[in-house]
Amino acid sequence: MKPKYPKAADFGLAGCHTCGKVSEVALGNCPRCGTRLRLRKPASIQNTVALMAAAAALYIPSHLLPIMTVVELGEVTHNTIMGGMVTFWRSGAYPIAIVIFTASILIPLLKILALSWLCAAASGKVHPSPKTLGKVYWFTELLGRWSMIDIFVVGILVSIVQLGNYMSITPGPGALAFAGVVMLTMFAAMSFEPRMLWDRLDELTDSPPS
Amino acid sequence: MKKGFSRGWLAMLPWPRPPGGRHYSACHFCDTLHESFPVSEGLAARCVRCGAVLYQNRPASLARASAFSLAALLLMVLVHAFPFLTMDAATLRRDLTLIGASSALMKADAPILGTAIFLFTVVAPVVLAGGILYVCFPLMFGRAAPLADHVAKWIYRAEPWNMVEVFLLGVLVSLLKLAKVADVHFGFGFWAFAGVMLCMAAAVAGIDREELWDRLEVAKK
Repeated sequence: MKPKYPKAADFGLAGCHTCGKVSEVALGNCPRCGTRLRLRKPASIQNTVALMAAAAALYIPSHLLPIMTVVELGEVTHNTIMGGMVTFWRSGAYPIAIVIFTASILIPLLKILALSWLCAAASGKVHPSPKTLGKVYWFTELLGRWSMIDIFVVGILVSIVQLGNYMSITPGPGALAFAGVVMLTMFAAMSFEPRMLWDRLDELTDSPPS
Repeated sequence: MKKGFSRGWLAMLPWPRPPGGRHYSACHFCDTLHESFPVSEGLAARCVRCGAVLYQNRPASLARASAFSLAALLLMVLVHAFPFLTMDAATLRRDLTLIGASSALMKADAPILGTAIFLFTVVAPVVLAGGILYVCFPLMFGRAAPLADHVAKWIYRAEPWNMVEVFLLGVLVSLLKLAKVADVHFGFGFWAFAGVMLCMAAAVAGIDREELWDRLEVAKK
């Protein structure tokens, strides 16, 4: 039976990951830009799961350790991400508290959950509708970078608040851990192969599970 | 008058088709194979299965991409020349510059964070805007710049790491944090960086990836 939606891979063709040109995968490298041609990203689920597990492990210290240390008139305070958010909330700056909560706490967590779920779908463990998959993938690709905001805030504050004995700010180990979380989830999203989701879907239509 | 010629000499160079018989495109999301046909300016071709955009024909693509990337590069010079924020606390005045944010972290024993901020806010935007200008401007005259295909690869590699807009939001949050302890004002650098953000978005959206590579392929022949 001829499939309703022919896939490039069914004909031994691959769309180049760099320039988009469709060529025979047997050529080895893309004739236009020289990138290695692959039908699917190799070991994409393993890579994604490994990067994501590292990100999830770093997520814990990134919230427990201080992201910056403020020394004000000899008094030392350690600030965590959560603490900064609570301060904004108490002082009535609700929009800013919500931005920090979304960017630093919610998005990394949701991204890790969404990628785990996509990996489960790509390995055939759950069977969601393709429309949901598209939305979830779009979310993981687009929103992850916004989590970097807290790292930028630390950089900005450390740079501008150097007022000698009056007040100074130094970065804490939590900031490094948090930057690690953001970058690892970005790499995890990049190594994920969305085409595998549709491969599973086609397998199901060809041989529905009884 | 024939449609398209109103834009003058730019219209002399519509999206060319690379040599060869039939052209195909595979959806980058679901891998469905389509035979690709030219679409008119302003329109996009979408995947029949998942609806993802396959390619789109941007109006005056090369001119827009070159102009906006040049504008972004010029504004970047201003960004580095003027402070983002100025803080007056007691008798001290401190300025925040873009380089300052990463170099302060380097000095404060956080070299990895400093390098990361430098890459995301200084290097990636320059690679992105500079790369688009380097590739697109010679293509307006039907020429491929030397090593243009390597540069084009780096454009799309740098794209996800360009965090200009995230940094701007970071400046706003810092401003609110500092407002309690000191008198803080916006500097011209902030507005210039906002301009960089808009120009970069327009430059990236100005030309489709497929069109850029098709034009490069034709120009190199």
